[in-house]
Amino acid sequence: MIRLGLRNAWRSKSWLAVTTALIALPVFLLLVLQAVSGAVERQTAILKRTVDNTLQLRARGSMGHVNMEGNEDILPQRALGIAQRTTHVARVEHYLLAMTPTEGHNFAMIVGVNPGETKRLESHGEAGNPRIIAGRDLTDADRGQRVAVIGQGVARWAGISADKLGEATLTLDLTRTHPVIFALKRPPVTLRIAGIYASGYVFGDMQLFMPLDAFREVYGVPEGISWLYVQADSVDNVREVEAALRRELGEVADIIGPTAAAEFEASATRTVRQLAAGGAAIAAVLMALVVFFVTLVNVRDRTRELGTLKALGASGKAIAASVIAEAFALAALGTALGAALFALLGNLFARPFFAIGVRPFLAPQYRDSLADALVLGGASGAQLIAWAALAAVAAAAIGSAWGVRQAIGLSPVEALRHE
Amino acid sequence: MNEPVVRTVGATKVYRKGTQEVRALDGVSLAAESPGLIAVVGPSGSGKSSLLHLIGAMDRASGGEVAVAGRSLGAMTDAELTAFRRRTVGFVFQAFNLIPNLSALENVMLPMEFNGVKPEARRARAQALLGRVGLAPRASHRPAELSGGEQQRVAIARALANDPPLVLADEPTGNLDSKTGESIVKLLAEVARARTVIVVTHAEALARMATAVFHLRDGRLAD
Repeated sequence: MIRLGLRNAWRSKSWLAVTTALIALPVFLLLVLQAVSGAVERQTAILKRTVDNTLQLRARGSMGHVNMEGNEDILPQRALGIAQRTTHVARVEHYLLAMTPTEGHNFAMIVGVNPGETKRLESHGEAGNPRIIAGRDLTDADRGQRVAVIGQGVARWAGISADKLGEATLTLDLTRTHPVIFALKRPPVTLRIAGIYASGYVFGDMQLFMPLDAFREVYGVPEGISWLYVQADSVDNVREVEAALRRELGEVADIIGPTAAAEFEASATRTVRQLAAGGAAIAAVLMALVVFFVTLVNVRDRTRELGTLKALGASGKAIAASVIAEAFALAALGTALGAALFALLGNLFARPFFAIGVRPFLAPQYRDSLADALVLGGASGAQLIAWAALAAVAAAAIGSAWGVRQAIGLSPVEALRHE
Repeated sequence: MNEPVVRTVGATKVYRKGTQEVRALDGVSLAAESPGLIAVVGPSGSGKSSLLHLIGAMDRASGGEVAVAGRSLGAMTDAELTAFRRRTVGFVFQAFNLIPNLSALENVMLPMEFNGVKPEARRARAQALLGRVGLAPRASHRPAELSGGEQQRVAIARALANDPPLVLADEPTGNLDSKTGESIVKLLAEVARARTVIVVTHAEALARMATAVFHLRDGRLAD
C-alpha cells in the first residue's frame, strides 16, 4: 500500500507540479530563515571570541588605590579564592594600585601585578595590552624585586630614555601628596626600570607596573586586592559568574560587567533567533496546511478507489499507509525542490529578506553592522538537510492526519457510489 | 443437499435521506448453495445492489439476519467485517474498479497483500490467475492500457485471489458490448463450478445460465 501511495503521488504531472511547488515555497522560506539565523549565530560566535568577558571587582564605593583620598578601601584577600573557585571562571588576576604625583596636578598610577598577567590600563575600566617598545617586560625572575616597566609618559617625566634602560632607576617618594593623594609614612623606594611600553593613549602611558609582592612590601599592604579581574570561560556564562560573585562578595565589592556581548546576545541574536523560530513555525504551518488540503483533495479524488480497497479487505492501517505515503512523497518532493531553490537562490533572497524581515526588529546600532557582517547561506549542508527533512516529516504527519482519518472512516458502499 | 453458503432471513435495509426513509430491502429471505451461479434480477431500484452489499459484508442490515459461510454478519465489528471480506468474498464491479496506478498483476496481488500472503507466493498466484483468464501477456499493463473486457477479466482474477468461497458480481457485463459480455458470462460460469457466484444482472444470457435466479421487486423477493 505504501507503493500504491507513492505511485499515486505521480498520478498527474500537473497535480505533482502544483503540490510540489506549494510545499516547496514554505520550505524555501524556512531554509532562508534558518540561514539568516545561522549567520547571526556565527556572527555572535565571532563576537564571543573577541569580546571582553571579564568582570572587574573593586572594594564597594572605592577606586581601590591604597593612597587615594576616600578611595583607599581594598577588597579582602579572600575575594581571590572565592573568585578562583567560582564555576565557569577561566582566569583570575589581581592588582594593587597606588598613585604618585608627577607635575602640577598630574599623577602616575603605580600597579602591582604578577609577572605574566595582563597589564591592564586604568582608563574608565578599559582594558588593554601595552606594547613594550624598549627593554623587556616583567618576568617571573622579577618577583619580589625592585623592578618595574613604565609607560612612555612616565619615562618622559622621569627622564628615562631607551638607551639608559638597565641602569635607569626611578625613586618613588611615598610621602608626597596631591589633592587626591595622601602621604604614606613609608620609606622611599628606588626601582630599576627594565622596559618602556606604549599604550596608544596619554593616560595609559602614565602607569608603572611592578611585581605584586614588591608592591605589597613597598606600600605596606600585606594582604588585600585593589582590583580583581575575573574572566568567564564564555560570554554566555558572564551573567552566571557575575551572579555568583554578587552572592558571595556583593556586600564588599562593586562588580563591573562587560556589556557589549551580553547586549548583542540579548538584542540582535535573540531577536533574530525569535524571528527565525517564528518564521520557521509559520513556514512549517504553511507546509502542513498545504499537505492538509492536498490530502483532503487526494482523499476526495480517490474516494472510489478507497472504497474498492475497502471492499477488497484493506484494513484501516493499509488505507492510512497509502494516504500517508502519498503525503510523505509529496512533502519529500516539495522539500527537495525547496532545498534546490534555496541552493540556487538562497543567497540572493537571504540578504534582502534580512533587510526587510529582520533588520527593522533589531536595535538601531546593530542594523547596519550586522547586515554587513553576515555571511549568508553558509550553513552546513547536513544541517540544512536535517532541517528540511524534519520539516517534511512534520508537515506530512500533521497535515495528513485529518485526511487519513477521513479515508479510514469512509463507508465502503458510499465510497463506491462516489462519482 | 449442500449447505447454503449464503442465507438471509428477513433481511431488511432502510436508508434515510433527511427525514425520508427508503426501504431498499424488505424482509428478504433466501439461501444460495455452493457451488453455483446465482442470478439476482430485477428492475432498477429493486434492491439488488443493496442485497449484494449486505451479503458481501460491505453494509449492515437494518433488520433480519445475514449469514455467509456459516457466520452471522450482524454481530461482527467493522474490523471483523473487513477481515471477513478479505477472506470470504471476492468482488467484481460493473465499472471494473481496478486501481489505475497498479499493473494488472499488481491489481490481482492486492487482496493477497491485505491477507498477508508473502510477495513471492502472491506474485505466482496472480500470474496463474491472469493465465486462467487469458491475460498472462498483459500482466504488466495498467488498466488504462487494457480494453473493457480485459479489465473485467483482471477484476475476476482479482476476485479469486484469496480463493474465496463466494464471488459477488454487480452488473459485470453492464459496461461491455454483448460479445465481450458473453465471454465474461462464460468465465463467471466457469468460476462458479468451484464456488458460489452471485451475479446482479439485467443480462438475460447470464440469468439463463444461472443455477438459481432470484427476482427482486421493490425490495422484496418476487415469486
